[in-house]
Amino acid sequence: MSQYYKDADDLYKIYGYFLDRVLRDDKIGTKMRKAGIIIKFMYTDPDAEITIDVKNPPAKEGYYGTFYLGPCDLKPDVWSKQPADHSHRFWHGLENPIAGITKGIIKQGGKVTAMLKLLPVIKPAFRLFPVALKEMGLEHLIVLKK
Amino acid sequence: MNGNTGRIADINLTTGAVEILELPEETYRDFIGGSGLAAKVFWDRADFSADPLSPEALFILMNGPLTGIKLSGVSRMNATARSPLTGGLAESSCGGYFPPALRLAGYDGLVISGKAEKPSYLLIDKGALSIEDAGSLWGKGILEATADLREAYGKKSTSLVIGPAGEKMVPFACILNEAHHAFGRCGMGAVMGSKNLKAFVMKPGRGDLSLADPERIKSLIKELTPRIKDYLISQVLHDFGTAGNLEGHMYEGDVPIRNWTSNFDEVMGDALTGSTLSERFLKKTATCAYCAVACKRIVRIDEGPFALAEGPGPEYETVAAFGSLQGSSDLAAVCKAGRVCNDLGMDTISAGATIAWGMEAYEKGHLTDEQTGGIPLRWGDMETVVNRVLPMMAARSGKLGELLSMGSARAARAIGGNSLEYTAQSKGLEAPMHDPRGGHGHALSYSVSTRGACHVQTAMHFMETGACNYPEIGFEFDLEPLTHEKKAETTVLAAAIGAIENSACLCQFADRSLTLPEIVELINAAAGYGYDIASMMEAGWRVFHLKRCINYRFGFSASDDDLTPRLKEPACDGDSAGIEILFDEMKDRFYELMEFDSVKGVASRNKLESLGLTEEADRVWPGR
Repeated sequence: MSQYYKDADDLYKIYGYFLDRVLRDDKIGTKMRKAGIIIKFMYTDPDAEITIDVKNPPAKEGYYGTFYLGPCDLKPDVWSKQPADHSHRFWHGLENPIAGITKGIIKQGGKVTAMLKLLPVIKPAFRLFPVALKEMGLEHLIVLKK
Repeated sequence: MNGNTGRIADINLTTGAVEILELPEETYRDFIGGSGLAAKVFWDRADFSADPLSPEALFILMNGPLTGIKLSGVSRMNATARSPLTGGLAESSCGGYFPPALRLAGYDGLVISGKAEKPSYLLIDKGALSIEDAGSLWGKGILEATADLREAYGKKSTSLVIGPAGEKMVPFACILNEAHHAFGRCGMGAVMGSKNLKAFVMKPGRGDLSLADPERIKSLIKELTPRIKDYLISQVLHDFGTAGNLEGHMYEGDVPIRNWTSNFDEVMGDALTGSTLSERFLKKTATCAYCAVACKRIVRIDEGPFALAEGPGPEYETVAAFGSLQGSSDLAAVCKAGRVCNDLGMDTISAGATIAWGMEAYEKGHLTDEQTGGIPLRWGDMETVVNRVLPMMAARSGKLGELLSMGSARAARAIGGNSLEYTAQSKGLEAPMHDPRGGHGHALSYSVSTRGACHVQTAMHFMETGACNYPEIGFEFDLEPLTHEKKAETTVLAAAIGAIENSACLCQFADRSLTLPEIVELINAAAGYGYDIASMMEAGWRVFHLKRCINYRFGFSASDDDLTPRLKEPACDGDSAGIEILFDEMKDRFYELMEFDSVKGVASRNKLESLGLTEEADRVWPGR
């Protein structure tokens, strides 16, 4: 039972808002574009999937990439699967991804080294995630560092 | 004997005498092999009053019990001596192709003493050892000397060679196998140079491995190889080399910049990271023997001031030491500097760190034009570094070359002022390119490492970054890098695991995904030691404590388990900015857990005796 998400729609609502900001952010978006990959995030509890495409031209003007909430036909270059709650804490900067992979909490496949190119965007995005939650009136979902 | 051959050649270069040491199987089991076994041989045979560069000093090469097995990352080799840089126990590890060749020639190790009358090399041909004239090789760079030896003994021969820096006994001179794989740290090249020993050469030969359970070894190779290959770290290493995550490390505050005065520069991170190296200069990958990971880089630079013929490319440590640490984002300069260091035979960490220290001293006016002989030593001036400074250091020529060839700690003492405070070292060994302020466990593990500041003598580097998980010994928690919490407790475990890895001669990259039960099984199937996890861990601690006893006999004590102020002062930028390392708390707790005496810095008599180190206990705790 997820601590943070009621169901997949709830997850899509939050990540949709967050990614909308991330992919419009000049600093983060530019760096994501440089990665030039299609990445699929798969979540468990609740089951959900999100695909981010920073390889093809963005579908909307003013964006550096396109995201798809739910199943999508795009073939990902790399995929990652993890519990939704782990991802929620990760985007607060509270989970070590290497430790997650070492312990088998995060599974990955495809051209996983391509994900290294996303490293420069992760830290700035950590700051945006709690901000997004606050803007959505979901302060109770903000996880504080112990 | 299985796994090991049971034979160690003892060669006196002064007399030319060769004897075979046959140690009891129990000694192998107690000290595992590699680093541990070499430390035991050193303890038993070394003259502790001997200068590291005197004929009386010992130089030891030692394989581990798995060497020669066709599995990734199990065929490294240890070199042990007294360090001309630190005055303490020196050890260094190298992969490449020499270790399995030595095993197949019928030896676990070589113990070298004495001094050859003239420049020589040691030839091993079908198990027979002979001392040969190296007159035509002396003075040559490692690239040319290695090529000459290959031409003389065939493409399948393999060699360990020193360069001009080793001949001149630069205290951080290194040894290279195939001009690519290095015994980098602690000045092993200088020890060889002091013995007039230019090289070890192994003619191709065929031998058999005697294994305790060959069928189980076969099945383990089959089971483990795909997993090692598929492991995330292995994939990063294959695609982008050991600098593959430099950019990520930059965001963790791990990469030192401008002599450790900064930890964060996004532009530098992007310019120097492994994917940039692959995109710009990589021509192909290379490997150590039997390795499926292939983290080694072969690079070529076609034009510009640092144009470079196709050949070995830089590791992460070289990239940072000749890049960010010297205030440079010029990856071509890094490649060139690495190649020049390789050819001259100098450790890129110590050489790069000493130059970076010199740049800061020059900027501060502590190092004057008069002292540099008029050579400006400015941040990022890599043409001066590559074309002038490195050759002078290797030759120990000119005022600047003479000064920097001493290493940062001695050079700082020579110029005085407060310049020692901004060296980045422990026990005189320059720190590797992982900033302890970005991971406080590194601060403790660097300081208690017997060879000086080192990120591979214990497993802390990988434990703190989350790259390993050992539930069987209670390590299944995440460490928060920027605190002291659980770091002492983890370093106790990391000390044993590091000793096991370095004694079994495992590659800390390729074999990162191996679990403790798998390491136990590999060692038992190869050497029949009959370990379980507890007895293997005990062997690891035995090795760690033995090395502490060796350093004690060299005059080291608890006060030497420290870092220079530069490495402990809070960082000024990046994630670690302003965060204090609670060093004393970590050290005190570690000492308590390890039962270290707070003055001597060695374990109590009871602790040593409980590990079977009775003779060692008598030495460091005389009189009951």
